[in-house]
Amino acid sequence: MKPLNFFALILFVAGLVWVFTLSEKSVRQIQKSYYSAISPLISKGSETEAFANKFLEEVEHSEDLEKQVQQVSEERDRFKLIAARVRELEAKNNELRNALNFKKKTQFDVVAARVIRKQPQMWGKTIEINRGTDDGFDADPEVDLCVLASNGGLVGRLQLSGEQISSVLLITDEISQVSARVEGTSEVGIVVGRQTTFGQTPRLRLRYLSKTAILRKGMKVYTDGRGKLFPANIPIGTIEDFEVGPVYGEAEIKPAVDFTNLRNVFVITDSTGD
Amino acid sequence: MFLYSISLIGFLLLSCIVQQFLPSVSSWYDARILILPLIILCGSVTVSTGIMLILAYLGGFLWDAQQILSVTQGDPIVYQNSPDSLKFGYSIILYTLMGFLMQGIRPVFREGKWYLSAALTGVAIFLYLFVEYLLRGFVVGGFHSNDGMIQQIWASSVLTMLLSPVIFWILFRVADLCGHTIQYKN
Repeated sequence: MKPLNFFALILFVAGLVWVFTLSEKSVRQIQKSYYSAISPLISKGSETEAFANKFLEEVEHSEDLEKQVQQVSEERDRFKLIAARVRELEAKNNELRNALNFKKKTQFDVVAARVIRKQPQMWGKTIEINRGTDDGFDADPEVDLCVLASNGGLVGRLQLSGEQISSVLLITDEISQVSARVEGTSEVGIVVGRQTTFGQTPRLRLRYLSKTAILRKGMKVYTDGRGKLFPANIPIGTIEDFEVGPVYGEAEIKPAVDFTNLRNVFVITDSTGD
Repeated sequence: MFLYSISLIGFLLLSCIVQQFLPSVSSWYDARILILPLIILCGSVTVSTGIMLILAYLGGFLWDAQQILSVTQGDPIVYQNSPDSLKFGYSIILYTLMGFLMQGIRPVFREGKWYLSAALTGVAIFLYLFVEYLLRGFVVGGFHSNDGMIQQIWASSVLTMLLSPVIFWILFRVADLCGHTIQYKN
């Protein structure tokens, strides 16, 4: 073996031992430093992504329009476009109105944020929002801040914060755990995310229910406030199905939040309601 | 050799930045160009085993710093079964294995058949993503095989592989500038 290769091998093994013996706190510190360093670029990257998506949308739309031109007159198309634009504006208006109403009526102190990038990673289910430590988010909080959608449903919690952006771990990710209760029953359990890939709708499971639980489709599931991670009474979703396992009961949950069309979210900065 | 190795590490750091500007192709199975793994794979075939190990280590470390999800744990009385996730550093092992795979055909690459290495980058990326997916399923304890997953991995591998000739071309130019011999002359 060449001396250089031998030296590199020694370095490699030593580095490997160091990495695999890092504490969780050290790993998080490394990730925070990395995220802070790269966060200005992520903002720019999200703009590129938005531009690319817009371009692809425009390409698709232009193909659609070409087909329509063959079928109907130009005038009708023009009106159709206007009507579509009005509907789009109306939807956006409703969305913003809902967001404004939510901010007014919520019991928590919240900061509104815009989703600038969805699932930047291959497998992990995260989003990035345009708020960070510059907006008062603690860079090293004892408890991660909680994130809600404009309908009040639980989105997830802040994972990492840069100066002007933050990464949010969605409740649909496999490593997410939320302590929950089923409305109208004494059943409590832990909601976990499920592994999903392209083309699949996000799914949740409510685990550790009692085997004798009487649960019906459509029953609502809320956070129960135990475990210090999430405030109580935030909607998580509704029960779709209930299965009895060998030890525990487990329910399939339909999320309260439409994760595919998530545009604005709210970060709870103070859950005491003072 | 030294200058070329430093340049490769520079490329690796640059690829971390470039990766932020490469969105997923939502209209094609959410496929992604994985530029950082590609730099490691293409770089691996142009250097000795020692440098490849260093490249895989740095690449895996940076990749995990970016990709591994970590959150604050809740009260252990309520959250008794803390969620398992892949250990920070697992990518170093995977990149090293892929690096050795690339080094396996280095003699052929040095004879000028770079296109075989380019094709192998696609295979290596596919294996990397597939093993990563299996590991995630194994650790979390919920493996669900589905067509969407295979399509996403396949599409990402193809997309990344298509970029490999460009990376090789850049590496050849940089090697010339640094006076590093990648291929046998004559």
